[in-house]
Amino acid sequence: MSAVQEALPAVKGSRDATVRRFALTDSIFHGMTRAAAILVLVLLGGVAISLFAGSWQALSTFGFSFLTTESWNPVTEKFGALAPIYGTIITSAIAILIAVPLGIGIAIFLTELCPRPLRRPIGMAVELLAGIPSIIYGIWGLFVLAPFLQTTVQPFIISVFHGIPGLNNLFAGPPYGIGLLTSAMILAIMILPFITSITKDVFDTVPSVLKESAYGIGCTTWEVTRRVVIPYTRIGIMGGVMLALGRALGETMAVTFVIGNAHRISTSLFAPATTISATIANEFTEAVGDLYTSSLVALGLILFVITFIILAIARYMLMRIDARTGA
Amino acid sequence: MSQMLSPDMTIATEAAAKSKIEVKNLNFYYGQSKALKDITLSLPERSVTAFIGPSGCGKSTLLRVFNRIYELYPKQTAEGQVLLDGQNVLDRSQDLNLLRTKIGMVFQKPTPFPMSIYENIAFGVRLYEKISKAEMDGRVEQALKRAALWTEVKDKLNASGLSLSGGQQQRLCIARTVAVKPEVILLDEPASALDPLSTAKIEELIDELQADYTIVIVTHNMQQAARVSKQTAFMYLGELIEFDKTEKIFTSPREKRTQDYITGRFG
Repeated sequence: MSAVQEALPAVKGSRDATVRRFALTDSIFHGMTRAAAILVLVLLGGVAISLFAGSWQALSTFGFSFLTTESWNPVTEKFGALAPIYGTIITSAIAILIAVPLGIGIAIFLTELCPRPLRRPIGMAVELLAGIPSIIYGIWGLFVLAPFLQTTVQPFIISVFHGIPGLNNLFAGPPYGIGLLTSAMILAIMILPFITSITKDVFDTVPSVLKESAYGIGCTTWEVTRRVVIPYTRIGIMGGVMLALGRALGETMAVTFVIGNAHRISTSLFAPATTISATIANEFTEAVGDLYTSSLVALGLILFVITFIILAIARYMLMRIDARTGA
Repeated sequence: MSQMLSPDMTIATEAAAKSKIEVKNLNFYYGQSKALKDITLSLPERSVTAFIGPSGCGKSTLLRVFNRIYELYPKQTAEGQVLLDGQNVLDRSQDLNLLRTKIGMVFQKPTPFPMSIYENIAFGVRLYEKISKAEMDGRVEQALKRAALWTEVKDKLNASGLSLSGGQQQRLCIARTVAVKPEVILLDEPASALDPLSTAKIEELIDELQADYTIVIVTHNMQQAARVSKQTAFMYLGELIEFDKTEKIFTSPREKRTQDYITGRFG
């Protein structure tokens, strides 16, 4: 009894000290994490403000017509952003159209069908694609892919679709090799690892018992994937696609190599064009005059806004899916 | 052990009933380790058979052999014979999708598909039958009525299957299984994640379903086995220890190990 009473105060004393220490470290930890979170907001705000300030001259000179004007003439100092916006959106959209089915297909193969010993090597090979620097994609695109497309693929497609209304405009010559479609293909290869690895990861989260139930009523692998695995994981897949889209919209180096850097809007996917980031990268060094520089910054602001809108749409879509499935 | 028992494997009093599934000298391996040891037994048609035994005794494994769901995973192999109406389902030529439409399965945890209540049922039916919208409505209603779920969900068939309670989800899974018109229904601890009320509903349902289906239920709950089944198999460490009419197993088991297990002395 007395031993217990003697022991108790000692324990209590050291506990108080420990509790005080914990309270202190906890509040430091709390403060640091909050500071980190606030820092992100400050940075984001800072970037937005400096972009806005930098582009003010261009925006106040051209007004809303900056968005709707195709011409980009440094000599007469008349700048319009329509061509780069068009090029950015079209190349990214086509890249997504190519990469999403391919990426989901690879993910399905790796998670459902691939013999186990091959899974890791193939998965790693796909992920290594993400590690290749974009300048290498640019060089490869310019010296290998573009000549190949120019000499074989494009002449073939042009001759096949010649005379078919609509398609003959979409695939009109001459075959330059470089242009919208080539950039989109390079972008598709670059974003493929994102889509594949995120899709593969979310496919792995499907409870095996759910798949078993679907197989249990006689589904084939295709039906299980199409009706159970993909619906179950669509939010994750969508997230992966949006991340990839963000990457595609902002990708600079590889696109600059193969886009052709032409400030014009053409209906043909084979025609040279430009994107926002390619324009900025190409012309910043030669931008003489404040208005020219300011116009380039304004392009940056537009890219910033487009990326924001894309993310907002993605969020909105995810919210609607959440509401519908009641999950 | 099982050799010694094999003469008794077909229960004398049930001899008149046609056997639906016959298991002959079945061995099952997870990689190198043997999970089922020379199992031989015969399950009568349109009747409930319960598999009981402590965790890891192989009762779920045995169930998973019947529709070959184990084949989704590598390194799981079965040897021997499982005859469904005299046809060996372990035969390589057996079409797996066809087999699984004949042998439905319900799992421990409810597994509604990520789609509406209506679609959860229509999905499986549509895989193998081309029927009109009106007929499909009928099938969905019939299946939900069979699973005693119709009155609870008839006004919200387009709601997500995931929005139902656990007990309702499990009955939805049973409805889904029934809708495909299987011949055998495998239940792998179907009520272990449910509250007593939902459990009672499921048990009632099993009782009704045995008029049309051959039912095999794996359960940890011995009272449940006693309540719902006509015959019970007691398994231990991958062996079939005793298989007999349920009353016999629970009142006068032949084996001491069965006696010990049902009285709660081990397991």
